[in-house]
Amino acid sequence: MIKRAFECFRQLNINCVAFLAVLPLFVFTFMFVIGPLIYMLVLSFLQRAEVWGIVNKFTFKNYMDIFEPVYLKTFIESFKLAITTTILIMIIGYPFGYFMAKLDAKWKKRMMLLIFIPFWTSSLIRLYGWIIIFRANGILDKLLMALNITEEPLKLLYTYPAVVVGMIYVLLPFMIFSVYSSAEKLDWSLVEAARDLGASSMQAFFTISLKLTLPGLLSGVVLTFIPSMGLFFIADILGGNKVVLVGNLIQEQLMKAHNWPFAAALSVVLMILTSVMIYIYRRISNVKELEGLV
Amino acid sequence: MKNNTRLANIYLGFILALMYLPIIIVIVYSFNSSKISSVWGGFSFKWYKELLRDKSMFDAVVNSLILASTSSILAAIIGTLAAVGMPKVNLPGKGVVEYLSTLPIMIPEIILGMVFLTYFSLIRLPFGMLTLVIAHTSFCIPYVYMLVKARLVGIDKSLAEAAKDLGASEIRVFFDITLPLILPAILSGMLLSFAMSLDDVVISIFVTGVNTNTLPIKIYTQLRTGVTPKINALSTLMLGANLLICLLSVWIGKQGSHHKEYLEMEGN
Amino acid sequence: MKKTFVMVLIFALCASLLVGCGGSSKVQDNENTASQDTQLNLFTWEGMFPQEVLDEFTAETGIAINYSNFDFNETMLAKLQTAKGGDYDLVIADDYIIETVIAEGLAQKLDKSKLENYGNINPIYQSQFYDPENEYTVPYGAGIQTIVYDPDLVNIDISGYADLWDSSLKNSIGIIGNYRVINGLALKVLGESYNTEDISKIQAAGEKLLELAPNIRLIKDDNLQDDLLTGEITVGVMYTSQVTMAKLANPNLKIVFPSEGIGFGIMAGFIPSNAPHPDAAHKFIDYILRPEVSAKCFEWLGYYCTNKAAEEYISKEYKDFLTLPTDFSSDMEMIQRVGAEAEEAHAKIWTEFKSAIGK
Repeated sequence: MIKRAFECFRQLNINCVAFLAVLPLFVFTFMFVIGPLIYMLVLSFLQRAEVWGIVNKFTFKNYMDIFEPVYLKTFIESFKLAITTTILIMIIGYPFGYFMAKLDAKWKKRMMLLIFIPFWTSSLIRLYGWIIIFRANGILDKLLMALNITEEPLKLLYTYPAVVVGMIYVLLPFMIFSVYSSAEKLDWSLVEAARDLGASSMQAFFTISLKLTLPGLLSGVVLTFIPSMGLFFIADILGGNKVVLVGNLIQEQLMKAHNWPFAAALSVVLMILTSVMIYIYRRISNVKELEGLV
Repeated sequence: MKNNTRLANIYLGFILALMYLPIIIVIVYSFNSSKISSVWGGFSFKWYKELLRDKSMFDAVVNSLILASTSSILAAIIGTLAAVGMPKVNLPGKGVVEYLSTLPIMIPEIILGMVFLTYFSLIRLPFGMLTLVIAHTSFCIPYVYMLVKARLVGIDKSLAEAAKDLGASEIRVFFDITLPLILPAILSGMLLSFAMSLDDVVISIFVTGVNTNTLPIKIYTQLRTGVTPKINALSTLMLGANLLICLLSVWIGKQGSHHKEYLEMEGN
Repeated sequence: MKKTFVMVLIFALCASLLVGCGGSSKVQDNENTASQDTQLNLFTWEGMFPQEVLDEFTAETGIAINYSNFDFNETMLAKLQTAKGGDYDLVIADDYIIETVIAEGLAQKLDKSKLENYGNINPIYQSQFYDPENEYTVPYGAGIQTIVYDPDLVNIDISGYADLWDSSLKNSIGIIGNYRVINGLALKVLGESYNTEDISKIQAAGEKLLELAPNIRLIKDDNLQDDLLTGEITVGVMYTSQVTMAKLANPNLKIVFPSEGIGFGIMAGFIPSNAPHPDAAHKFIDYILRPEVSAKCFEWLGYYCTNKAAEEYISKEYKDFLTLPTDFSSDMEMIQRVGAEAEEAHAKIWTEFKSAIGK
């Protein structure tokens, strides 16, 4: 590989330039991703020590333990939450990214900054903001009661909807940015042409715009689905820890039960399941261009 | 057609307002003299004074900013180059590497942090900014990569080919044609990376060194004694600084464009 | 053009790596002065000391404090192990983990000749399981498991853990996420020890806990006092610092020492085996053992004061929560580590319990 790199410096033909371009990713992945992955894989087949650490003995027990109903349920819960969140984010985020791409250049930039600025505040602190909004007799309750929509406090905090709102809030920008960067290159003259030919704005959207922004939408789905599988602190903070997710279980096994191998096995399974989900999704949506994404 | 309908603009405004709602609450509560958020103890600058005395908090902010900008730039470079080069390169197992490079975002952070800790000590990297940057870059690359890749789909290949036919080199084509076209995606990816790096705590706690506390670490490790409004005060200051920079850049932009208009008029 | 591109690429990569190295090399700089330490690497949770106490120490001794943080005790141990007992000079963590730290040989014995104020420590909090001979540790705060409730909103008189099962408390209890404490609460109701290794007894406690599930509104480690104060919950089983904050904000709240027996935990400081600045660590320990300084720390921290001499300096407002009542019976038990099998049983009944609450 090194030899080839040197060759490329001298020749710089097409294939070699491309080779140089992917080289950093290859080197980085080989040095810093594969190593830790192998360690995790090995760990998942070892035994835990009585109090702290691991014993170098091969076992399948960690994987067998996952089949206990109580642990299987956490996988189902995680999927349920991830899918609910992803669908809602798609519904909310797609129009946002799409409309954003239609703004004029000046506003596009401003919009990007406006979406980005809240990130300067730690997500924990922002979620505390939501707690204050959702709290019994909090801002939301007072507003709803003032508008005569509800008559008594809703007790929304520490419920499933509160968790979903929190998840959407944290992950929405992934969808927005993804759809935006794909819709931004849309050739609007095509849409206009369709309109001139008598298509309604809806028809024009479905035949042209949607089709052309599909890659952005699809990668947005992948970008929101993956993190939503592992996120659990939102469920802890806004859901009162009542939804048990895989991420949660892994943390407890690692940090409280000191069972690292089991935590590693759970992570391996989660990683494989996520990959499979994305693979199936890619097959269903049948987008060739996303091939190799996962 | 290109312009939004009024309804669309209202939608954008509404969602944006929702995004800012918790932020406004954070700001309001930074002036709360009570230590706990359920009690409004009256308006005060107490937490700002406390904050100014805490030098370690500012060190943490600086560390976080260095870390977030370094790893988002690194991720942008590695991710973009790879996304552009991957379809053209002819290497065995490139699909596998592509898949492997996205795995860091599929593994729960806490175990990733733990295996990074062991792995880095195994290859004898000193814990500190270096290990932080490596770990953060690893989970930022996939985002840049995916966004750029999605943007590259359907980009008019004829344009690049025409340029090549006219004798432009591959690199020239990249800089003059491809790069401007994928720039919004790179920028989006970088912003997301920056934001995620700025917010990461679980991995950071494991791979940080003695002198490199980051801001999220300081916030999350307060749980034992309770998060104080000092953090709200800090967040407010950071938001303020941000806003100032944005306004300033808008203002400078305006000055610039006035200047340009003026020049153009002179030219005429 | 081609070459510039390649150069830019390589330069960018190198530059960012260099920036990284620059940051981390700072660590090694300050290891030359062993006898005249100018720095102290403190490793504990954030917010364990009031800022003025840290500032005054630096002003007095010229030793700069470098405060690093961890979230879980386990993270601390993993990092300390990786550093082979080095990097950090003083660690403050929970009792059970210190037992493991000492067993792994990662702590060094204290040089008590350097600790003039050692005698100020309240002996109740000494000679515990993790350091029976008091060779390695100095306690810094104790937590006592109590029940806090709002008598205006609760119709029954709560005197022990068993009352939490009362049907009138449906969906109104908030608990912390420490499963040994919560599972232990069920064990106590069944008359068992916190530290039983009998799996069937742990499972029985799990069954008992499932009956408690309908009464639990939330499980949360951080800022649980807020929920009690806003009426989101009416009864809480929470950390001592949270109890202190809640009671200060609402003096009407009632604190109950459960009749089934009292569980408590101690946070303690120790010096890692290869600490770069052990002298500075000793100086700091001695400094925070001074009665006046100690009193300030505990008023800030809100945990029970482990410094006997400091008690008279604690203001009246805080005294009731930071010192034990004089008629306090010593029927207390500490939560210790249990064997792997028992630990896993605990983890499992806890997960089952949480899923049951979600329903």
